[in-house]
Amino acid sequence: MTEEAIRDDKHTAETMIRLENLSKVFPAQDEPAVEDLSMDIYEGEIVVLVGPSGCGKTTTMKMINRLIEPSSGRIFLEGEDVTKVNSDNLRRRIGYVIQQIGLFPHMTIADNIATVPRMLGWEKQRTSDRIDELLETVGIDLSYRDRYPKELSGGQRQRIGVARAMAADPPVLLMDEPFGAIDPITRDRLQDEFLRLQQEIKKTIVFVTHDIDEAVKMGDRIAILQQRSKIAQYDTPEKILTDPANEFVQDFIGSGPSIKRLSLSRVSDIETADWPVARLTDSHDEVRDKMQRSGKGYVLLLDDQDRPRRWVGAEDVEHDDASLAETGRPAVAIVEANANLYNTLDTMITSYKGSAIVVDDEDRYQGVVDFATVLEAIDTMRPREQDRHMSPPEQRYSGTDQDLQTGGDGR
Amino acid sequence: MTVRQEPSEKGAAGAPRFLRYLGMPVFLGLVCLALYLYVSSQQLDSIEKRILNTGFLFSRVIEHIELAAISTVIVVVLAVSTGILLTRPGTRRVTPAIIGLANIGQAVPSIGLLVLFAIVWDFGFWPAIVALVAYSFLAILRNTMVGLQQVDRSTIEAARGMGMTKTAVLFRIELPLAVPIILAGIRTALIINVGTATLGTFVDAGGLGTVIDTGIRLGRDSVLIVGSVLTGVLALSIDWLASVAEDILRPRGL
Repeated sequence: MTEEAIRDDKHTAETMIRLENLSKVFPAQDEPAVEDLSMDIYEGEIVVLVGPSGCGKTTTMKMINRLIEPSSGRIFLEGEDVTKVNSDNLRRRIGYVIQQIGLFPHMTIADNIATVPRMLGWEKQRTSDRIDELLETVGIDLSYRDRYPKELSGGQRQRIGVARAMAADPPVLLMDEPFGAIDPITRDRLQDEFLRLQQEIKKTIVFVTHDIDEAVKMGDRIAILQQRSKIAQYDTPEKILTDPANEFVQDFIGSGPSIKRLSLSRVSDIETADWPVARLTDSHDEVRDKMQRSGKGYVLLLDDQDRPRRWVGAEDVEHDDASLAETGRPAVAIVEANANLYNTLDTMITSYKGSAIVVDDEDRYQGVVDFATVLEAIDTMRPREQDRHMSPPEQRYSGTDQDLQTGGDGR
Repeated sequence: MTVRQEPSEKGAAGAPRFLRYLGMPVFLGLVCLALYLYVSSQQLDSIEKRILNTGFLFSRVIEHIELAAISTVIVVVLAVSTGILLTRPGTRRVTPAIIGLANIGQAVPSIGLLVLFAIVWDFGFWPAIVALVAYSFLAILRNTMVGLQQVDRSTIEAARGMGMTKTAVLFRIELPLAVPIILAGIRTALIINVGTATLGTFVDAGGLGTVIDTGIRLGRDSVLIVGSVLTGVLALSIDWLASVAEDILRPRGL
């Protein structure tokens, strides 16, 4: 099996979904939409199928729950051959979320979520409890139970769509561009929420998108598909970005793969720099003292709730007359600890003195990152890959000899 | 007087709808009253007396309602099920032929259709019913098909993707979502049938057409007026009932 070659060494999880030589030829079409596709998807991982439109990624996904019947090949779910079992029963075991969400407009939110549990014959009380639990999970107020989908915003509908798909607690979720029709800001938030949710629920998720950035963000592994669902590369986002298997992958990733790679690390993963801090209520002497002892030119002032307020330099505290709350510069360029390095770097570039303040989710000061810290983090990322591919970093980033170096992985 | 508090508590939001529902019956009641006063003010001869009495008119109204109601029930069953069948994949090839047939049913003038059925088959109630069914079939068939076809594909895909059987999707998703459009078709068919049932008299099927026809043939204006006004009142009452039914049966959330 070619999958073995790219299997992460650390991966010990069970195979949840196995596709074996799957093909689909639609009637009245010469070319197969999917041709001889084989892949393994492990329990608890998010696998993103990504590729240009018409590459067969949606067809591939719909063959997993047999909304599209494969022309040949076999599908295994939890080790069981499900190619020929009753497809309605099969689908009740697999959650399904689509871009248009497809909530039933004539049913209340509660009835929408209860769809699969009712088909499975759950008791009323159990279904009702499950609805409450799911609404809480996706962060929708329980008062929405008896509302209708048209009364909800796009983001809320999407959350209900996810809740409905998870209603009967299926081990597998199929998601077809689930955030595709949502505005960028809400999309970003829903993606973050969903990743947090996944930490808890640990579902096996097959996620289809055409957006490589979304794939990099969401995927534990990414399958980049070419025409007829031919796998161009099936690997972790890190590896795909640093080590594209062929020209197609390289083109598809587009520009700045190394920068995109930064979006995979979070601020909380790196060491924040030690920075002198003082209170707004401290005296000028104390602030001057801290500045001198630390050897840094600036001190960060926090308010009584540990929230960063102002940067002050030596010249700002020379005279005792100015109140600390008004001197120096306001502390902007603040990032949350779970922000990724890509966004952090972006914040730093636009910030004063090229550093970003890290806060927790309640805006309390955690530390400061500057360019030096980020560079250090980038450095620690490098050797690991170097060992793996045994190729000098400067060549890896040149983007010309990729195919030679990764010939073993190419398919 | 404490009883009065309850409706007043419902407030402004309930009032317009309540008035909207009440307006038509009040108007029709007034028309009937005016008709009664008109007839009472006339000197009736023996022919008029034979027709313009409660017993005779009541029987004609019942006949008329029977013609319209039974034909509509039959056409709803036939046309809705045909509409469902014609929107299933696999029957697409026969769809144009069936629509063509239904078109002929509606295109032929109704009196022609009635008389044709009477000549070919028999005079009386059932041939009239068949003619009415043929005449109003298209209205419901077309609305059923449009109603089912306008259901969002993604809604159906989501339902199928969650493991609903095709039958469950039809009855729990497609039909409920098509209800408003199907109901509009049924209302149209009902109105067509109430109107066309007046022609039932020519094939000996009774109804209010008998009153109108007698009025014309015997030159009794009062009889003609009573027949016409009652037909109008009946048609408007049924249309009103249908509109109330549409409001009640429309699924919430749409």
